[in-house]
Amino acid sequence: MKLLRLSCWLLQGEWRARFVQIIVAVIAIAMGVALGFSIHLINSAALNEFSAANKSLSGQSDMQVYGKHGFFDETVYPKLARYEGVKLANPVLEFTATVSAKLENRNDHQLKILGIDVLRAAGISPDLLGIPAEGRPMDNFADDAIFLSPAAMEWLNLEQGDVLHLNVGLESIALRVAGGLARARAGQRIAVMDIGTAQWRFHYLGVLSRIELKLEPHIHHEAFKEKLTRELGEQFYVSEITDQETRIANMSRAYRINLNMLALVALFTGSFLVFSTQALSIMRRRSQFAFLRVLGYTRRQLLQQILTEGMVLGTIGALLGLVLGYGCAVIAINLLGGNLGSNFFPGIQPSIFINLQDATLFFIIGLSVTVLGAILPAREVVSANQAGALKSGSEDSAMNRTLRSRAALLCLSIGILLTQLPPVYELPIFGYIAIALLLIGGIALMPSLAKLVFTFLQQYVSRYSRNVIILLTVARQANAPNQASIALSGVLASFSLIVAMAVMVLSFRISVDHWLDHVLPADLYVRVADIGMQGGFQLNEQRAINGLPGFVRTDFFRVQNLALNPDRPEITLIARPIDASEPDHTLPLIGDVLKLSQLPEGAMPLWVSEAMVDLYGYAVGEKVRIPVGDTWHEFSVAGVWRDYGRQFGAVQMQLSDYQALTGDFSINSAALWLDVETTMAEAYAALQQLPFSNVLEITQSQQIRESSLAIFDRSFAITYALEIVAVIIGLSGVAASFSAQMLARAKEFGMLRHIGVTQRQITLMLAAEGCFLTLLGVTLGFILGLGISLILIFIVNPQSFHWTMQLHMPWNWLLLISIVMLVSASLTAWLAGRKALAGSVVRTVREDW
Amino acid sequence: MINSFIKKIRLALFFLFSILWLSTAVSQQSVKDSQFAVVSPGHALIFPQDYGAHPDFRIEWWYVTGWLETEDKKPFGFQITFFRSATGHDPENPSQFAPKQLVIAHAAISDPTIGRLIYDEKSARAGFDLVYAKENNTHVKLDDWYFLRDSKGHYQTEISADKFGMQLSLKPTQKMLLQGENGFSRKGPNIEQASYYYSEPHLKVTGSIRHQGKRLTVSGHAWLDHEWSSELLDSRADGWDWVSMNLFDGSSLTAFQIRGKDGEKLWAYAKLRSAAGEARFYNTDQVEFLPQRVWQSPHTNAVYPVEMHVRTGESEWRLTPLFDDQELNSRNTTGAVYWEGAIRIFQEQRAVGQGYLELTGYESALDL
Amino acid sequence: MLELRHIHKSYSERYPVLSDISYFLKPGEYVAIMGDSGVGKSTLLNLIAGLDSPDSGEVFVNNTKISALNDQDATLLRRKEFGFIFQSFHILPHLTLHQNVALPLLLNDLPVDRTDVLLTEVGLRGRGNDFPRQLSGGELQRVAIARALVHRPKLVLADEPTGNLDPDTAYGILQLIRREIKKNGASGILVTHSRVAAATADHVLILTKHGLLPAATNTGL
Repeated sequence: MKLLRLSCWLLQGEWRARFVQIIVAVIAIAMGVALGFSIHLINSAALNEFSAANKSLSGQSDMQVYGKHGFFDETVYPKLARYEGVKLANPVLEFTATVSAKLENRNDHQLKILGIDVLRAAGISPDLLGIPAEGRPMDNFADDAIFLSPAAMEWLNLEQGDVLHLNVGLESIALRVAGGLARARAGQRIAVMDIGTAQWRFHYLGVLSRIELKLEPHIHHEAFKEKLTRELGEQFYVSEITDQETRIANMSRAYRINLNMLALVALFTGSFLVFSTQALSIMRRRSQFAFLRVLGYTRRQLLQQILTEGMVLGTIGALLGLVLGYGCAVIAINLLGGNLGSNFFPGIQPSIFINLQDATLFFIIGLSVTVLGAILPAREVVSANQAGALKSGSEDSAMNRTLRSRAALLCLSIGILLTQLPPVYELPIFGYIAIALLLIGGIALMPSLAKLVFTFLQQYVSRYSRNVIILLTVARQANAPNQASIALSGVLASFSLIVAMAVMVLSFRISVDHWLDHVLPADLYVRVADIGMQGGFQLNEQRAINGLPGFVRTDFFRVQNLALNPDRPEITLIARPIDASEPDHTLPLIGDVLKLSQLPEGAMPLWVSEAMVDLYGYAVGEKVRIPVGDTWHEFSVAGVWRDYGRQFGAVQMQLSDYQALTGDFSINSAALWLDVETTMAEAYAALQQLPFSNVLEITQSQQIRESSLAIFDRSFAITYALEIVAVIIGLSGVAASFSAQMLARAKEFGMLRHIGVTQRQITLMLAAEGCFLTLLGVTLGFILGLGISLILIFIVNPQSFHWTMQLHMPWNWLLLISIVMLVSASLTAWLAGRKALAGSVVRTVREDW
Repeated sequence: MINSFIKKIRLALFFLFSILWLSTAVSQQSVKDSQFAVVSPGHALIFPQDYGAHPDFRIEWWYVTGWLETEDKKPFGFQITFFRSATGHDPENPSQFAPKQLVIAHAAISDPTIGRLIYDEKSARAGFDLVYAKENNTHVKLDDWYFLRDSKGHYQTEISADKFGMQLSLKPTQKMLLQGENGFSRKGPNIEQASYYYSEPHLKVTGSIRHQGKRLTVSGHAWLDHEWSSELLDSRADGWDWVSMNLFDGSSLTAFQIRGKDGEKLWAYAKLRSAAGEARFYNTDQVEFLPQRVWQSPHTNAVYPVEMHVRTGESEWRLTPLFDDQELNSRNTTGAVYWEGAIRIFQEQRAVGQGYLELTGYESALDL
Repeated sequence: MLELRHIHKSYSERYPVLSDISYFLKPGEYVAIMGDSGVGKSTLLNLIAGLDSPDSGEVFVNNTKISALNDQDATLLRRKEFGFIFQSFHILPHLTLHQNVALPLLLNDLPVDRTDVLLTEVGLRGRGNDFPRQLSGGELQRVAIARALVHRPKLVLADEPTGNLDPDTAYGILQLIRREIKKNGASGILVTHSRVAAATADHVLILTKHGLLPAATNTGL
């Protein structure tokens, strides 16, 4: 009991003395936890909502039957309805239609429509039932009615009774808004209509998107699924709701995990701050601890004392972080929506919900990081020799054991080795471990490096300079490198993070920019709404477009989605004219390319995106089978192209091959090259001459390019937030360690004042120390950050998103941020020194009264 | 929250009830210029074609009610109804899913030992050979429920609900009975308010029912009504009372009245046919339904005159229910609420027959 | 050399620390100041060194009125004219002995050659490149003595220089301080509790509430 009281006194005394540093440490932990927690909250809220929205579409069905290439023949429906064990079969036709009024809004003009049989759906997805106006019960079967979710009504600015115009190919059809839906999730933008009407009006006659099944109660699901899958054949797949959830989670998994990893890196950076605060505080109190040991404190008691400090700090910081993180998440989701600027979760409006488990997890992470920051220096103190510790001037040896350059080199080499390992569950786990090891190793190597650099500098200085300030500064860094590196670890960690992110983002952006150049060679792109499963331009319209004056070249595209593997999101099939002898004129090809002559006789070439290589194991020269039209066909992989647009995979084939295989001569869009003499205005005017010009969506490649880059920037906005947090954490590290040092070095300053060093000179010296340290931190951070960015660019990105990119260096930005870091670190050190020196430093030299 | 949700669902599905009872009246304006066929007097029914469905008419039903007895002489009432309803959906729509015709089925068992109706219902659009109402002979199917007339002129039906099932064969023992004037049955003061209507009384029933987990062999007698129309009720109509009686002496009596909003009689009709085949017709003035005892449903609060005196000309028939609670209440699904019950028929304290009474429009206005 | 004129200093009104202290220290004179704890010895030293200023009265060092200087000028004066020896040595751990001793020379922009002379004088010849952690307490204090005299200050202030040392070592250090002060022609003030230590000075003064008084008996050497 008495000991506990003593323990409390010691804690109180310590915290009174270092209030500011403790606040800074707590804030650092809180920020790390907050960042991680809020990103996690936003992501999981978005995912949950997206998943719930999807689930609400499939209702309470036990199983769902899909066609492998999207829509399938409706004759399966009666077969399934009669199938042994099926209680209810609910046919669904799901598609998107282009809203005429939103045509100019290139990236957001599609309305998801579900065609349902209301009487069947009532037993499986009652949420989707349309609510007709009173007295108009038959609207559920009407041939001109559509029901809109509240979010869709708001988006379209329509009410019950209004007319909604939708584009189908070249026509615009009008549907009466007959009412709302029984229940839709907030923000869920969907429309529901009669399935027969939908098939007819939108040209999906004879096809369905899926059939939802409710099984008899006694049916064994696994066995049923297996049997049905076998009997339906390779054109279909049967999935349970859980499969759906996996699929949805898979779609955004890489994105979410990468974001979470970044948040963890921030937390990790924060932990250095805790570590440095704790380490310095412990160093400063070495003689106090030694004294306590002499008084009779056991090692365990002492360790407990230090750990308790860490626990209290960690608890306060982590709790604060949870609150802060929740607040940030709520604000972010209200301002940005669940996408965090990216587009992984379209058409939903999530709300933040805290789950106790996650909160606990983040709390524990925050706490353990803090405790770890306290344990390392504490172990050192506890096992130290007390007599030595009582002696003045021995502070610096305290850190020798925890930061060993041999261990550091080991970390670095393991990190480098790990980069060679393949992904785990399609996630770059080893890449991230390598990043962590590089950071740890780099920081652990700091003391030796600092000593090396400053010893060299010191020799130079003592030879050529008589400036006492520089001498003092350099000598201190050279001979007390551990303290220096603690201050440095924050700077190093945060700056390397900044460098890594900046290099990665810029490399990515420039690569995307080049890629856009390559994939958007034409001047104008003309698109039209699909007609059912067909592209909107039939041969007549294609001829009309070909006949337009002012264009030198016109390419037609046929684009559709198809599912190769039911567990994965659909891939995109693009059929277009490709110059088979020079395919890299059309496609952004990378690596080996098979020329026309190198292909086997009669083989159809297929050019696949990088994701196809990673996800489906396609390789150049290999024969692959994909469903085109009604059946599967064999193709030869003739090349791999880079695709930043579709991370789930895409393949391109000759339009002529496609037409020969399917007999489908429709196309979705056309790329037009202007004649040198034609102006853009003339080109538009020519297109306006077309009889169907009012349903055309005309885009200049410049616009697509700009909007693509804008989307890119938006989706990386979060990384800028991370960088800012990293800078703040790094600077707080400098501030914390310098103010801690002020106390620890009070005697030194007092002596210097006695022997005639002016106050200004001391603050100048501190600023110089801050500047030198930061310079070293920035330099090493740059090297480390570059290493990390290489991992991000060449390992994490290809493994997570299945695309590669080239390295580009953002020199200006890095230079700017280095200067900002340097200036602010010097300022911070200077301010910390000024504050400490304002007191009675001179008196600290005397201990005897 | 839950309540409002259920209310919304009900609102969404309420059309079924509307189609059955009200829409024929409410939308009388549209019927004239719509594509639906019109019921007219003097049109002779032709068999066997008219056993089948008449998709050109807005609404049609095959309505079987009857009494069953298990081997140990326990009485049951049963009702099996198949409705067909044309929605007015564009006939040009080539989609197999185009909801041009809907089929709706209600089935119920009245077990006095339970004291409550056990019922189920189904509805679906016609199509894909899963659901249909065929022309030329009685053949209606809704997934695994069906009602058909076989080559021997016997009716076969099977109902398989979660809680119960029926597999019955119904054999005519008498000639069919054309209601009204040779099958032209007026339902109101306006000549257009009419249907084509014939009945098959005294059907001999054999088969089995699945009830409380047991399969019971049953036999008994039943009554089939087949009726089709495009415009049935007067806009003032609020409901109807209808009764069919298989009398022990082999004669059969049909009687109904259409009630107005205040309960007044808008139209009434009765036809009595003796075993020998002599038919007697009673007009609106000659038919009266006189409530004797009312029962209030604990489920819907509706008040039904479950005991009636029916007067046809000078004859008076006392109707007493097999038990009171024979209300069919599907408020939470399709919204249909009516009383459809097995009754015993007495004349001067003497049991003279068994039949079915249907009481509609007694439920207070729906709370929407 | 050093003149104190009617010094008054108090940190609270009721209890003046120093009142009406006057004294004149001649060049080359080495005095010891004794006194009970709390009597104001350290305050007096701070006033002499210009680290603190008196409420009234004046302090002259080498004819400069240090008590009237601002912090910057006082520091510059101190840098040039003063040498300090502290109880706990205050040798910077991260500088070599040479660098530690050279600090005052660098501050005054003087050649650093004299460092080695001083290190030799204090018996640490050839150890200029050692770091303080390799030294014993007595050796550290020798370094401090070298540092205090390396720039030929006019006045050396030694505040309990042997407080942290064992008696055998202490005696050698006291002799060394005296010898070095005399040898370099400086004046010196030794503040101490110890009569034995005080006896190494030319004469001993007692600081009391009534002023700075000569000791009743000079025990002498």
